[in-house]
Parts: sequence; structure tokens; C-alpha cells
Amino acid sequence: MTGIRLRALAATYFKIGNTTFGGGDPTMLALKHDLMDNKRLLTPEQFALTFTLSRVTPGTNMLAFCAATGYLLRGWWGAIVAVAAIAVPSSMLAVIVSGAFESWMSNAYGAAAINATLAAAVGMMFAGAWMIVKPHLRAGAWTRTLVILSGAFGLTWWVHLTPLQVIGIAAVVGAFWRERPAR
Amino acid sequence: MNPLLVYLLLLKATATSFSGLAGVPIVHEDFVVNRHLLTVEQLNAAIAVSRTIPGPNGLWVVGAGYYAAGLPGAVAGSLALMTPAFLVIPLLIWAGRYSDLSIVRNAISAALIAGAGLLVAITFELARSSITSPLAAGIAAVAFVAQTATRVDTLWMMLASALAGLIARKLTSG
Repeated sequence: MTGIRLRALAATYFKIGNTTFGGGDPTMLALKHDLMDNKRLLTPEQFALTFTLSRVTPGTNMLAFCAATGYLLRGWWGAIVAVAAIAVPSSMLAVIVSGAFESWMSNAYGAAAINATLAAAVGMMFAGAWMIVKPHLRAGAWTRTLVILSGAFGLTWWVHLTPLQVIGIAAVVGAFWRERPAR
Repeated sequence: MNPLLVYLLLLKATATSFSGLAGVPIVHEDFVVNRHLLTVEQLNAAIAVSRTIPGPNGLWVVGAGYYAAGLPGAVAGSLALMTPAFLVIPLLIWAGRYSDLSIVRNAISAALIAGAGLLVAITFELARSSITSPLAAGIAAVAFVAQTATRVDTLWMMLASALAGLIARKLTSG
């Protein structure tokens, strides 16, 4: 557990979770950027574990990721605060927007702004995938990495397996195909 | 409509799916077909709202709860959205206990790489609908570079993108 205060933790999750368009993946990667790369509150190993487990947890992956990282940072209260800081404000926004959806969507400027942020989310998601894979592309490990990466892509894109199935297959393959440790 | 029942029905959808929209068929069956609490148009609107506002993709359950039972339904939807997330903590405690084992470390690293593969596949899907102009491609490229080579805060990146979209819209509309 870290010394981060609950208020600061709530502010971090509130700010990132309620300003990032494009769903869970850009938000998880933005949280990684802030909590791991910038503030050094999470280790790469903790990110790997929470990112993986959030994908095999029922429900919304992003909220599971928040619960897991919040738990690592401040225990159960951290988990509750992290999830609530994202889900409560965005739920309130969903209610407001649901009430006025049709007139809002017909606003050309609103649509232009949303479309631009979705494009940015695409760039961030490709960047996130690259940053996850990059540490595993070292000498002696790149074959394993590329096989697992392209296999996961292919099983999703062409075979239409669920994320749980793809991750399960990768975990079994990876358990027996050892990654050579970094020198 | 009893908010507790709305919560339980929406929880059934969220707790048995593994991605934002995977529970839609369950809600369609329960709310539209069996109980007539929602129309198909309302369910579609709830989904569309969740795709156009920041926050989790699973927010559509809040809209579905709101259309089915007003504000108490929206609260029920929000709780149904949050509840399954806490299942990750027992998993985290369990996996943490064995994370020093080489076989577990290798399985986790492979699962993480596979997660990146899934991310690329999802991103291609999103790119097909959102990268529809040179401006959008440029914004995506800038966001990629900013994320990989700088420490620019995501909020600024998003605000700059929205501003670029607004300026482009203003210029093209004369």
C-alpha cells in the first residue's frame, strides 16, 4: 500500500475516468500513464497483474482495473473510492444526457468535438498496446511476444473468441513457454 | 418498477458478461421482450449515450435503468455497473500469493501480451468508425506520439483534440 491520500486518489480517478472518451482501454492506459509512469505509485508488475485480472473479471473491465489498482494503493477504501470516483459522476452524466440525447446529437459542433476525441482515443490505444509490448521485445523474447501478440489478435479478429478465452489460451501457452529474464 | 428488481436484472447482465456491451442481449431479453419495460429504441439510445460520453462503456446499464424506472432505476443501474468490479480483489489477493512462482509470472506476462493483442483488435474496430478523415488520422498520430514520447496529461490531449475538431468544423462550415 502507498501513502497516497484518499482525496488525492479520488481526484486522480475522477479526473482521468471522467474526461477520457473511448471506453475502458484508453482510460486504463491513461491511469497507467499517470499512476505508473508519472507518479511511480504502481510498479510495472502490479500494472501487469491488475490489467490482466481486470480482463477476466465479470462486468466492466475498466472498473475492475480501478478496483484492483485502488486496492493496491489504499486497500478496500481505495478500491471503493476509485470505482465510485469514476462510476458515480459518469452515471450522473449518463442520466442527464439520456434525457436530452436527441437534440444533443443533432448539434454539429458537439459531434465534431466528440469525433476528434475518439480519434485521439484511437491513437492512445495503439500507444498503449505498444507500451505494453515494448518491454517484452528484447533479445531472446521477441519470438514468444510476437507469437502471443499476433495469436491473440488473430483469435479475436478472425476466430471471434471472447477476451476470456483468448487470455486463457495465452496464459496456458505462456506458463509453459518461458520468457527469458531480462539481463 | 421496483428498483431492487431493476438492480438484480441489470446485475444479471453485468455480472455474466466480460465487456461493456456483452450484456445487451440479456437486458434485451429481460427488459424489452419479457417485461416490456424498455423499447428497442430506448435500449439503443442508452447504448448510444454510453458511447458518446466519457466513462466506462458499460454505462448503458445506467441509461437502461433510467428509461425503465426513472432516477431510482438509474441508481440501480449504476450500482449494477459497479458491483462486479469488486470481484477482482479476491482474484488479486489469490494471484498475488503465487506471483513469485515462475510459471505464474510467465502466464501473467503472456496474458498481458495477449491483452495488448486484444487491444489492437479492438482499436482497429474503433478506428474503422472514427478515423474517417485526414484530420482524425492526424489527431490519432499526435496522440500516439504524445502518449509514447511525452508525459503530457491525458486531459490536455483530449481537450486539444476536441478544440481541433471544433476549429475544423468551424473552418469547413465557413
